[in-house]
Amino acid sequence: MTDGDRQAPGALPARVVRAARAAHGARGAHGQAPRLDDLLIDVARGDEQAYEAVYDLASGWVLGAARKVLRDPAMAEEVMQEVMLEVWRRASRFDPALGSGTAWVMTLAHRRAVDRVRSERSHSDRELRAATAVVDYDEVTEAVEASLERERVQRCLTSLTPLQRQCVSLAYYGGYTYAEVAELLGVPAGTVKTRMRDGLIKLRDCLGVQR
Amino acid sequence: MTSDDPDLHTLAGAFVLDAVSADERARFAAHLAGCAACRAEISELREAAASLGTAQAVRPRPELREPTIRAAYRTGQLAPVTAGKQRRTRRGRTAGRPRAIRAVAAAAAVIAVAAGVAVGTHYADQRGQQPPTVSVVLSAPDAVMRSAPVSTGGMAIVVASRHEHMGVFIAHGLPPLPRARSYELWLMGPGGDRPAGLLRVHGNGMAGPALISGMSAGDMVGLTVEPASGSLRPTSAPVVMIGQ
Repeated sequence: MTDGDRQAPGALPARVVRAARAAHGARGAHGQAPRLDDLLIDVARGDEQAYEAVYDLASGWVLGAARKVLRDPAMAEEVMQEVMLEVWRRASRFDPALGSGTAWVMTLAHRRAVDRVRSERSHSDRELRAATAVVDYDEVTEAVEASLERERVQRCLTSLTPLQRQCVSLAYYGGYTYAEVAELLGVPAGTVKTRMRDGLIKLRDCLGVQR
Repeated sequence: MTSDDPDLHTLAGAFVLDAVSADERARFAAHLAGCAACRAEISELREAAASLGTAQAVRPRPELREPTIRAAYRTGQLAPVTAGKQRRTRRGRTAGRPRAIRAVAAAAAVIAVAAGVAVGTHYADQRGQQPPTVSVVLSAPDAVMRSAPVSTGGMAIVVASRHEHMGVFIAHGLPPLPRARSYELWLMGPGGDRPAGLLRVHGNGMAGPALISGMSAGDMVGLTVEPASGSLRPTSAPVVMIGQ
């Protein structure tokens, strides 16, 4: 594998982070993302009104991500409900200094969805390859309801190399581990690991600068 | 980025995408604890990964809203992890400690009052006597207090010690039940629902302290309304659930 294109690890200038946050907030799926951080702080204090607002803001994101990963609408609804309960329960663990509320909620959501899809896979002992066809990048681009946010992310995904894109998509939307992705794509695991990181860095830079 | 495991840092992307095994997840999380630069990178990559999810937003069925929100209100919240320092929020307010201290003081008062009138409370160990272990839980160095409103009225408090595998349940303002019904405590968790004793409510709406033993990680304490003699499995939805 060639690692010449890998960027050096380290913190990004605060300016870029701010730009990324601002862009993200301004283009949040419901156009209200900046409020989520404050709402979560209120939820941590048991504020029920704030929690209802958080539900209205974030449940659609959580459900959408869960559906992509699980491909089963009923199971995705269960995961969404579990995640929203976790948001209430764990709100005191949210620290705005460590990242946006959106990233916090989506980290909970994705991990829960992935854990669920993996346990389903191990139960049904499904053949890995059976799923490859449906968890392709094409599927992502063909998503119907085009929103601004969706278009923006799609555009940024196309700035990745095909291998980076496949690695990121199979992991995020397919719920596969890097080792499974390596097997699916017939690429060394080390390469997959670095492409996932490089792909996310590129995605971050693209989302951060694009307004 | 520590020299002991040069390979670990390349895992940052896979970690953020949840594309690691449980073992690697744990190892990388441990690595993060000692690597500030890694934490900064992870936090930025998480913002990017979150966009992959939010870009897929769909509108949930409206019927899901009320039950989900109601379930949350029946669930206790984790206390802030602010040991030793006050966390300054974005609004410049301080979170956690002042409220926690007030709550602990209130709980201590409730426990003190309830302990004096608790004769006759049924305990999880069914010995029917005030066990000395209530104080063991309350004074355990790792004791954590959680409170949550009871959906039918009143407030419930659980003080739990993971080390002791025990908790103490108290409540105030509980509505009285008809004679044919009783409040019953449960341990609800990965090990299934286990009965944790009937809870007697005193004339003033106070209940407990009831000792709950055999708590394991992930267990929540639930309270349901059951037939007067109690049930082996909950027959109604919990009126309150509180985590450890």
